[in-house]
Amino acid sequence: MPVPRHRLIATALAPLAALGLLVAGCGGGSSTAASGAGGKITAVGAENEYANVIEQIGGKYVEVSAIESDPNTDPHTFEASPSVAQSVGAAAVLVENGLGYDSYMEKIASASPSSSRKVINVQKLLGLPGSTSNPHLWYKPETMPAVARQLVADFSELQPAHKAYFEANLKKFEAALEPWVKGLEEFSTKHPGAAVATVEPVADYLLEAAGIKNLTPVSMQVSIMNGTDPAPQAIALEEALFTEKKAAAFVYNQQVTGPITEKFLATAKENGVPVVGVYETMPPGYTYQRWMEAELKALEEAVAHGKSTESL
Amino acid sequence: MSAGLFVFAPGFFDNEAVHVALAVGTAVAIVTAVVGVFTVMRGQSFAGESLGDIGTTGGAAASLLGVGPLAGFVAIDVLAAAAMELVGVQRVRGRDLATGVVLGAAIGLAALFLYLDTTQGSGNGSTVTILFGSIFAISSATIPAVVALAALSVALIAILYRPLLLATVSPEIAAARGIPVRLVGALYLLTLALATALAAITIGTILSTALLIGPAAAALRLTTRPLRAMLVATAIGIAAVWVGVVLAYDSYHWPPQEHGWPVSFFVVALIFLGYLASGLVKWRQEREA
Repeated sequence: MPVPRHRLIATALAPLAALGLLVAGCGGGSSTAASGAGGKITAVGAENEYANVIEQIGGKYVEVSAIESDPNTDPHTFEASPSVAQSVGAAAVLVENGLGYDSYMEKIASASPSSSRKVINVQKLLGLPGSTSNPHLWYKPETMPAVARQLVADFSELQPAHKAYFEANLKKFEAALEPWVKGLEEFSTKHPGAAVATVEPVADYLLEAAGIKNLTPVSMQVSIMNGTDPAPQAIALEEALFTEKKAAAFVYNQQVTGPITEKFLATAKENGVPVVGVYETMPPGYTYQRWMEAELKALEEAVAHGKSTESL
Repeated sequence: MSAGLFVFAPGFFDNEAVHVALAVGTAVAIVTAVVGVFTVMRGQSFAGESLGDIGTTGGAAASLLGVGPLAGFVAIDVLAAAAMELVGVQRVRGRDLATGVVLGAAIGLAALFLYLDTTQGSGNGSTVTILFGSIFAISSATIPAVVALAALSVALIAILYRPLLLATVSPEIAAARGIPVRLVGALYLLTLALATALAAITIGTILSTALLIGPAAAALRLTTRPLRAMLVATAIGIAAVWVGVVLAYDSYHWPPQEHGWPVSFFVVALIFLGYLASGLVKWRQEREA
């Protein structure tokens, strides 16, 4: 059966037209979201611990999503997908860690520029130099209060009518953080000179804040974090921390593993050194504050009672 | 020792990682030398290089499944060798095409697996480790498997030696004498797959070909007798691995301090120097003759 010519053209053009609508739809969506007026402010936290703080401050006026929240993956080697690019491009407020930890954020944000988008780069917020070797800033006690205060300022600018609400949330946030900060102080007075072994610098700021000495050489931690092989000398030093029982606990990053870290884990267990699991992203079922408290409690259990808390 | 003036940096002889590296490296150097001499004589360097590269796919899959890389290398290389055999690696004409087609398909899979490794798995740095090797990170539990696979490959070459040599030098005469040339070639390809997999855990998938081809090519410049070439290649391979391990261990005290340079770099550089030196020796021999 012969098909009329104009129908052929129409059939050929239909998908194109649909595509055009789709593109228009995307553009429209992002522009309303970025304006943030009226409805909810869309915000993105590169890691889910930042998203959690955004949620606690923004509450009912903010729609938040996190890019990295899978506790089984390694954020250091994360590669962004198109859907990530879309949600970042559409956000009015972005929180990124900085220090190269989530450099894809900057790339995506610059690919869809917006003068009204507010970007909180935690490294810059804390005034840390780019040469800072440990990027795991959320384990620093002063980090999240600073992020929370900046969020209040940014949200209040986008929705001035709800300034008091955001400020009240900040009070709640700070109060909920108090037990952890107090706990860190108590730990350092109760266990002066406690020393542990690590594999990777993820929780080093937490250890520092609790007055715990990290016996693992820095070169080893950097090798493991960056995925290069540690030198045999460094491996021997680390093994000796367990076999000679110099370490009161083994602080183990559950998200950056490999044959070498698993070997250390086995040696630690053979020698009865308690294991404390730490994470790059917030494990499921926690708020930021409860997570930090749980990590500190796990350290306490290990150092005081020799008890392992391999995973939260 | 402040100036770093030593042949063996402190602790070399007591270090477990060094012991494992030397044991694995020696076994692998022997196999690659023995198999490599035939690879060079048969003009199958590209197949060797390809099997090495294809190992990346197996290593990435192994990391994804949470098993050791050796199992992945061996499985994928044996599979790829079988695929090459089926696609037509036995013909000299079109052989590189068959190899290239299988190589392309496998590396495509490697791209997928490495992507999944970095996005889904916690295997940090598996890409670098797979491509460039990690001899100091090999668990001592892997040694028996390495030695067994090495022994199997050398035994296969020993059994195949006469028919393989004839099939290599003159396939027509071999066929006329009733030697199953294709079967011999296929079995040889199996040993090549095993040798490349072993080389891959030592110096990485990309560099594995250096250990396979380098010592053998250098040896064949010095002698045309296959057995003697195997011995010379073994000596060059073992020397490169041992000296490479020592230098990598010492490099802990070189700048940048306390990091150490990768073993693979030293091993491959030494093999290259060995190849250059063999050219020099040959040139002098020819001038004297």
